[in-house]
Amino acid sequence: MNLAKQVACGVFALSLGFLMSCEEKKDGESKASGKASGYSRSETLYLSGSQWGDPNTFNPLVEPWLVAWPANDRFNIMYEPLTAYNSLTGATEPVLGTLVSYDTDKVVVDIQPEAKWSDGVPVTATDVKFIYELGKRFPQAPTNYVGEFVSEITVENVDGKERITFVVNKKVRNNPLAILDQLQAIRIVPAHVFEKLLAENNNDYDAVKKIQCDKDPVVSGPYTLSHYNNERIVLVRRDDYWGNKVLHDGALPAPKYIIHPIYKNNDHFAMNLQKGALDASMNFIPRINEKKKDGVNTWYDAPPYFVPGSMHFLYLNNTKAPLNDKNFRRAMAAAIDYAAISRLALSSYTLEMKPGLIMADGLEKKFYNAEEVGKHSVPLGDAEYAKKLLETSGYKAIFEGTNLKHSIGPKGDTLPTLFIKAPAGWSDWEAIVNLVVKQLRAVGIDVREGFVDGSQYWPSVGTGEFDILMRKPSVAVTASLPWNRFNAVMSSRNWVPVGNGYMNENEGRYNNPKASGYNGKVDALLNKIPLITDEGELKTAYTELNNIFLDDQPVIPVAHLPEEYYQFSTKAWTGWPTEKNPFAPPQLPWVGSGINTLWRLTPVK
Amino acid sequence: MFKLLKNLIKEPMFVIGSVLFLTTILAGLIGPYLYAAVPDGGPYERPGSMYWLGTDNLGQDYVALLLRGLQNSLYVGFMAGVIATTIGTLVGLFAGFKGGIIDDILNMFTNLFIVIPSFVVLVLVSASWSGGRSLTLIAVLIGLTTWPWTARSVRAQAASLRGRDHISLARINGASNLQIIFKHILPYLASYVFMVFIMQVASGILSESAISMIGLGPIGDSPSLGVILNTAKNQSAITYGYWWGIFPAAIVITVIVFALYLLNNSMEGVFNPRLRK
Repeated sequence: MNLAKQVACGVFALSLGFLMSCEEKKDGESKASGKASGYSRSETLYLSGSQWGDPNTFNPLVEPWLVAWPANDRFNIMYEPLTAYNSLTGATEPVLGTLVSYDTDKVVVDIQPEAKWSDGVPVTATDVKFIYELGKRFPQAPTNYVGEFVSEITVENVDGKERITFVVNKKVRNNPLAILDQLQAIRIVPAHVFEKLLAENNNDYDAVKKIQCDKDPVVSGPYTLSHYNNERIVLVRRDDYWGNKVLHDGALPAPKYIIHPIYKNNDHFAMNLQKGALDASMNFIPRINEKKKDGVNTWYDAPPYFVPGSMHFLYLNNTKAPLNDKNFRRAMAAAIDYAAISRLALSSYTLEMKPGLIMADGLEKKFYNAEEVGKHSVPLGDAEYAKKLLETSGYKAIFEGTNLKHSIGPKGDTLPTLFIKAPAGWSDWEAIVNLVVKQLRAVGIDVREGFVDGSQYWPSVGTGEFDILMRKPSVAVTASLPWNRFNAVMSSRNWVPVGNGYMNENEGRYNNPKASGYNGKVDALLNKIPLITDEGELKTAYTELNNIFLDDQPVIPVAHLPEEYYQFSTKAWTGWPTEKNPFAPPQLPWVGSGINTLWRLTPVK
Repeated sequence: MFKLLKNLIKEPMFVIGSVLFLTTILAGLIGPYLYAAVPDGGPYERPGSMYWLGTDNLGQDYVALLLRGLQNSLYVGFMAGVIATTIGTLVGLFAGFKGGIIDDILNMFTNLFIVIPSFVVLVLVSASWSGGRSLTLIAVLIGLTTWPWTARSVRAQAASLRGRDHISLARINGASNLQIIFKHILPYLASYVFMVFIMQVASGILSESAISMIGLGPIGDSPSLGVILNTAKNQSAITYGYWWGIFPAAIVITVIVFALYLLNNSMEGVFNPRLRK
């Protein structure tokens, strides 16, 4: 055997050895991954879609966007909130607390007397006050906004239970609806642990933020952090979880382990779901109906497959010509073919588009006034109407064959090309923008795709430095819908000029409070709605606000998409909630009352 | 000239390259006007009698997209090729002919551009361009970042001609520098420059495809071949088995570049006396 053959054999043997060492086990874990190996599939649930980057910290006092799953955001599997919102029924369900009452002056919650931290210390009102009032002590705390809504937190003992009253801050936001949302949004953390850490660090909040809280964290939820690396985060069940007895009749959650694999792109989700290596995920997988043959399922068996919960918008820069002309904006809304967007860009994951900011289905249906919408809205998907409206408003389009050359404004000036800014690589948004550009150019509106890197996209959202922006405001599925949606796109409360500051709502700069045409009714209604308790009155107020929206069209809703949803595989676990078995809302089992799913799953034998 | 052409035609590589390239040119130039696109269908419809090459994610007929994409990619390739070859040739000619300090300065300038990775520059400029990236812009950017190799090669050729008798004679006869460069040096390098141009066109098409693949390609009424590939990549076409989203466009790019490579190689075999059979 000559040298070359020997080398070739050696390389082959080495490669074979390496491949064998990395061979995938049946349970979907790799032997090469060290500690993570050895999880029985019947005890382990693989879920994904809430952690994309490398896990940095599990410290709940750090800004939520820097914290790894499940110690951040709305996840209630380690640190729990007081209550959970059921997006199917609209009910506020008990977790660490039970909602007792809610009116325009206060929100009252009872603490579960049995609730305990994992170190055995009871969960008390002290813990609630600690996190709610942390912003008063440290302005950089993630709950620093609470003071705008809650003026005082009082605690009393009623029938052996601690009763907490959140007093509405009448002088600032005067918004009990937002306090109701906060019951679900704010995770309660152990005061005795974090007070001690603050004391040890001389009340240096930034020093405490540097602690990763990844070794035996003190939690109240049904699972705790086992270990993690850049490929996965592993949670282990707490068999002594207080809620098993109080909330789930003594039963344990079915999976002993929950593993969140960290995938770098959408392809991995689809492939692993199809293989059965992933049990459920919350991410956009196009043409989900084609995956059904591989055991990938959704809430509905037919379109729209998921329950719509959020609106995706084209934010228009209301300060820039010609977008400052409401006729131009209305023509845009009329020209877009929403059915084509649903069918081609969104794999039919959306219901038929209805005008306005109120969804005509689900829990918002009771506020939807079809007759008024018909009076105030432009006809959707009507290119001829759009052309006519542009023509009567003084706009002219110059075509070269079928291609739009440019548009001319009412004053005879050539209009600038308007760019629709969207993050490059977001395939569903890119497809929406491609279609919108095609449809708007066909009626003579000079728009182009503006796909940019995330580093250019995100800073421009708040500063308003865009012509048109593809965006979904961060409006969670909560008790305050659709008010929070109206607020997100129409409120002038913190209005600052484009480029002069950051706005967290109404980024399109609609309704400048300092301009002569300011419509004070919008902000008045936005302030009034959270204080209305009568449903008839509420519908009237919403209708009035929706009519203003339809008349002015400050943004263009392009699709009603699911906000919290998942697709699941039944290869390893069955018993997922669906339209036919709606025991929990269509949320991953770590959001809102979707967590109830964990007690109902059954491993496949 | 006729003899050269006769020699070229004898080269099988040249014939194959020419046929392939002319076919793609014809398809790109007149294809979009002859082929009547089928109305939009559903997303990723399979190739069949209605849609010969299937549809993309937006239900658009892939044949029509490919023909327009081919036209756009050829436009970018040719324009980038013209820009890169013109700049590179001018810089190379002046540096090679003048020598001395001008050569040093131009050479330093050329080397500076060579050490800066052109693709990185292309990515950075494309990513930061806020006013919309047209085909022309992409072509100009590619042309402006790929000329240094042409300059370096032409400089070496021009320097070797500088001391020739006919150049000295022209100088004695009072010819200006420009006259000498364009009348007495450039014609000697014409075949070489043409070969360089061919490779610059191929490089332009590949660069456009690469920049488009990462989402920084041209934006317009019709896509380039790179944009078609980018869309298919973003839609995970391969993962989901929509092979027609990737392969036709990839094959067309490969065919054009391969044809240009064959042309270049066959021309070198004829034009270069050392390689001539």
